[in-house]
Amino acid sequence: MKYGGLIVVALSLLTGIGVFALFSWSIGINPYYVIESILTTFIFPGIVKDFLILSLLGYALLIAFKGSLWNIGAEGQMHMAIIASVYVTLILFFTTEKSLPIHVSIGVVLLSIVLATIAGALWGGLAGAIKAYTGVDEVPVTLILNYIAYFIGNILVYGPFRGKYVWGYVRTDLLPAPYKLSISVKKTITGDPIVDTLNGYLVEAIIYSSWITALIIVAIFTYWLFNKSSLGLKIKILGSNPDYLVTLGVNVKKTTVTAFMLSGAIAGLTGALYYHGALWRLEYPLEYQTMGYGYLAILVTWLSMLDMKFIPISAYIVSALIMGSQRVSSLPVVREAFAVIGLGGAEIAFRLLMFGSVLLSYSILRFIQDYEIRVVKS
Amino acid sequence: MTSPLLSITGINKSFPGGVIALDDVSMEFYPGEVTAILGENGAGKSTLVKILYGIYSPDKGDIFFQGKRIVIGSPIDAIKKGIVMVSQIPQLIDRLTVAENLSLSLTSVGLFESMKNVRRVFKEISDKIGIKINPDAKVWSLNYTQKQLVEIARAVLLDAKVLILDEALTYLPVEERRKFYVYLQRFKEEGRSIVLITHKIPEALEISDRIYILRRGKVVGSLVRENATLEQIRELMFGEAAKLITYERFSNPYEIQVGEPIIQVENLVVEGEYGEIAVNKVSFKARAGEIIGIAGIVGNGQRELLEALVGLRRIRSGRVIIDGVDVSNKGVGVIREKGVGFIPDQPLRYAVSAENTIVENIAALFSRQQVVINWSSMIEITNKLIKEYSIYPPNPNIHVKLLSGGNIMKVVVSRELEYATRALLAYNPTRGLDEATATFVRKKIKEKAVGDKVSIVFASEDLDEVLQLSDAVFVMNRGVLYGPFDPVSTPRSKIEELMVM
Repeated sequence: MKYGGLIVVALSLLTGIGVFALFSWSIGINPYYVIESILTTFIFPGIVKDFLILSLLGYALLIAFKGSLWNIGAEGQMHMAIIASVYVTLILFFTTEKSLPIHVSIGVVLLSIVLATIAGALWGGLAGAIKAYTGVDEVPVTLILNYIAYFIGNILVYGPFRGKYVWGYVRTDLLPAPYKLSISVKKTITGDPIVDTLNGYLVEAIIYSSWITALIIVAIFTYWLFNKSSLGLKIKILGSNPDYLVTLGVNVKKTTVTAFMLSGAIAGLTGALYYHGALWRLEYPLEYQTMGYGYLAILVTWLSMLDMKFIPISAYIVSALIMGSQRVSSLPVVREAFAVIGLGGAEIAFRLLMFGSVLLSYSILRFIQDYEIRVVKS
Repeated sequence: MTSPLLSITGINKSFPGGVIALDDVSMEFYPGEVTAILGENGAGKSTLVKILYGIYSPDKGDIFFQGKRIVIGSPIDAIKKGIVMVSQIPQLIDRLTVAENLSLSLTSVGLFESMKNVRRVFKEISDKIGIKINPDAKVWSLNYTQKQLVEIARAVLLDAKVLILDEALTYLPVEERRKFYVYLQRFKEEGRSIVLITHKIPEALEISDRIYILRRGKVVGSLVRENATLEQIRELMFGEAAKLITYERFSNPYEIQVGEPIIQVENLVVEGEYGEIAVNKVSFKARAGEIIGIAGIVGNGQRELLEALVGLRRIRSGRVIIDGVDVSNKGVGVIREKGVGFIPDQPLRYAVSAENTIVENIAALFSRQQVVINWSSMIEITNKLIKEYSIYPPNPNIHVKLLSGGNIMKVVVSRELEYATRALLAYNPTRGLDEATATFVRKKIKEKAVGDKVSIVFASEDLDEVLQLSDAVFVMNRGVLYGPFDPVSTPRSKIEELMVM
């Protein structure tokens, strides 16, 4: 089927939303609210932030996935990077000044980004080296490394990174203003929904303009890697037939580690940008502080069918679904419905149901498509 | 006249991309007969076998078995109905014993449980058709002929009504093939039917009662053996191209004895998969412009020898010297860098990446040391090779998985010949190619050796090929290399004897 892949993606999204709505209906919530909330989120400026982070991570994972290296560890690579950034900005060059000379600000932020990228690359490379030299499957390895990264972060936040101005909270200081990457813009509200929405997107784009720049650079790099460079070709062949690489005399272990390092580097870069642009501090426990972007990015990359054009589209869809499901779970009717059936508070987990359904139907449909499963009449 | 045991009528099968593999194919297979299906590569033989074995389902057409219309849903289904296939590569698990292997296929159809039973039944059958193999021997310790015998015993054990031999005996020397004919004779006397798939015309003429000839997915000839001649079949199989086929020896216009040695192998010992000695104290020299041909039945250490030469397999002792440098255990990268082309066994698995395009597969070799690939020069090389070897479809950006097996082989062979500036190591360089293309490729190999002063070491199961191409012939048997023999003055029977002794 020519558009088989796209049909699979569309069907899995519909199934996911469908199951979600059906479940809502079964506990007495009008599915209309649910579907409406999700659909309107697709034109909601609030999703730009998630969209940019998930696109960046989508490219990070794409590089590994092209080589059939299932890097589940973007989360850990991102956190190791944030730890490096925190060290640069809150320990080495901490300041209470409201502003610093521009070259100092730029220097510190660049240093932080570079070290974060290296930290991400090393954390990714560690997973790659374990895979390449001991043959342990990369999925559990990267997953375990995520938790190790969380716990390293937790220890640091408890100990040396704990802030001076935190009034007893277990967290770091706030990122000094001169190191912040987001541009603050005042929103004006006109009352016209179309103008306000467009204006909203513009404002978000200005706030996160540094992320947009990084996304463009990363997308161009990924294009260059897979279309111009010899390394990209080797990664692609690694993904489809590593035995061929061996007979070519290409070092498969080195290729594996390099692919993982590139993947981790982009995840690390994303971590630094997220820290400088939106997170601004680390707080105990780390695993609950971020959105689990590293895991959501897996969904983004899968839904893109490993086609780099589709990464932003699938990141947009996933961001809309996250935000939409959050909005649904916080609807008063939903909370009430959960309280009525004696599961008050479960609405938080409720939205995971939708992601689960999307993923499950995607896996099933891809399986059917890949193996060309047909019903044979007898 | 008896009615056919198995028949197919009006079978059509096409693949994505508009490739028509089979076009209105009808055939009849009678009990007590051997039916040969001949055809060049890409003629549709393997598609037909896969349909009979339930791997593919036909787009159109019917299959009748003992007069009833049937649908074959899977290989298990085919076996249940009594259709059993033996392919060129034995489908046995090397680690297990003969009896264990047989019990596997039997429990899958739910017949026996205990090993004791299996042993007993295997013995009965072996006695009946006269096979002498110890059921407790590990499969890896058997030679090719013995493995194929186990496969045939399994078919009898499964009570096969129809036995499909998919190039199963094609590469055995005539004498060894004749031993099988005795079993096959008994097999068919019991009213069973044998389908012999091959691209070697003499093999079909030796044993079959009826011959079908496939060309580009169509049945172009249906002959009774008594009326068939080699020339007539060749004409039907290849059409115009039949004239290009030749097994006449290519002579070497140069005095190779004066060339400098490029490859020197000294007392090489290499282990096989199971720690057994696969290559035993092998020594030889290959000079610039010289072609060394190694004859032998599959599984006698040829693969291990070539893999050790290119650096894929560890050398236990002895040395490999290329261009005066000791490259033993230096790794594939170092050896390839010296300008060594390599055509491995199972090229579809080890020599291409099917998910990538032709040009990507070629760039992977030629640009592996560069950071940035010069795509325009890669496209240039690819187009040149496509033209020279008439690779179809002639599009450098098509995915390799969409090419036929023969065309994939052309991609591999042309790429490695182009890459080889000092030496070419090859295993079955023309396997999977039709005879006309194979002749063409052999000519190319000869041209490469003579023209570019490249030293070529190749192993082949096809003795005709070895004799046509080589300046010096060796025979490999159980890891030992015998030779060199002069391909002109040595009698063929002597070489065949060494292959099977």
